[in-house]
Amino acid sequence: MKTLKDMLAEARQVVPEEGPEELSRRLRAGEQIAVIDVRDPDEYRDGHIEGATNISRGFLEFRIGAAVTDPKTPMVVYCQSGLRSVLAAKSLRELGYTTVVNLKGGFQKWAQSGLPVVKDAPLTTDQIQRYSRHFLLSQIGEKGQRALLRSKVLLIGAGGLGSPTALYLAAAGVGTIGLMDGDVVDLTNLQRQILHTTADVGKPKVESGARSLRALNPDVNVIPLPMRIDVDNVLDIIKDYDLIVDGSDNFDTRYLVNDACYLAGKTNVHGSIFQFEGMATVFAPNEGPCYRCLYPTPPPPGLVPS
Amino acid sequence: MLPGMIGMVQATEAIKRLTGVGEPLIGRLLTYDALGMRFREVKLRRDPNCPLCGANPTIKDLSIHAEGAATACAVGGNDHGEPVAAPTAAPAQRSGG
Repeated sequence: MKTLKDMLAEARQVVPEEGPEELSRRLRAGEQIAVIDVRDPDEYRDGHIEGATNISRGFLEFRIGAAVTDPKTPMVVYCQSGLRSVLAAKSLRELGYTTVVNLKGGFQKWAQSGLPVVKDAPLTTDQIQRYSRHFLLSQIGEKGQRALLRSKVLLIGAGGLGSPTALYLAAAGVGTIGLMDGDVVDLTNLQRQILHTTADVGKPKVESGARSLRALNPDVNVIPLPMRIDVDNVLDIIKDYDLIVDGSDNFDTRYLVNDACYLAGKTNVHGSIFQFEGMATVFAPNEGPCYRCLYPTPPPPGLVPS
Repeated sequence: MLPGMIGMVQATEAIKRLTGVGEPLIGRLLTYDALGMRFREVKLRRDPNCPLCGANPTIKDLSIHAEGAATACAVGGNDHGEPVAAPTAAPAQRSGG
């Protein structure tokens, strides 16, 4: 019969190892590495390496396919001390994940080396229930939900486009939503701007919008910004957000948001509508085109959705 | 109803981006025709002559926006051999879709 010692020695022969400094250096250099934490969820919550995906050793072979779709992705696995993970890494190699490396000394050595550690506050019972359907989606899971709860999204416009976007982002648990609009609710808005109610006519849209979002999900920190975006405030406002959703309805704002997002390196989720047609795309700086690539010159005045 | 459809595409793309799942709507324009109930996809390419994100950008800050909306919108036309269609009067649009 093989002893544990034999198994570990066998695994070490086929699994390369690297220390915490080497992994830290590669992550800082921006290398795309799938870091897998094979400890149990409670150990992971107590502290883990930023960006690591938690798949307990027991579920590893079942869930790795959803977490790492390309088996050629460089992968590092770790556990508390580096023993469970070397066995885990051997299994992964046998599954065809040939790039897998074991973190020598595990999380313990990582933390002792003074490298940064992420600690998740435990989700409340209410949160576990509220987001339970997200947890069932393997690509989202608890990690994705925590990412959403940490995220900050700025919505430019709390009108026709901003209303559904805001409601769904709040429902999904996006932690911070900046709601920017300088208008008050008008009776003519209500056939499509579902964030506001009849009783809100005459009130600032960000006020009624913030109330709707907080009522839907108290987890969300709603920041009402009762102003129009302009050249003087745009950079200062967008710098606090991870992502910008442009729900504006005029070309001046779209060009301004496009330029500011590009210069600030922010992703701009763009949408526009006109009569019975609409369009949407995502402008991500240096990953694809920008609004000016699409519309070098503005369409003639009057062709503006309202 | 139309803005709901587009707003939800935007919400979906935002969630995808924030969680890193799926294939983002980058470099693709999704168009929606409510009357025909059709979605179409148009491939978008980066314009190497784009005044903002092209190889030799002329827009390096937001100063063009300070000079008035017509200039800000029209600036892109110069590099494309197209007439600069500067709006004579910026439509007094309200934010909010």
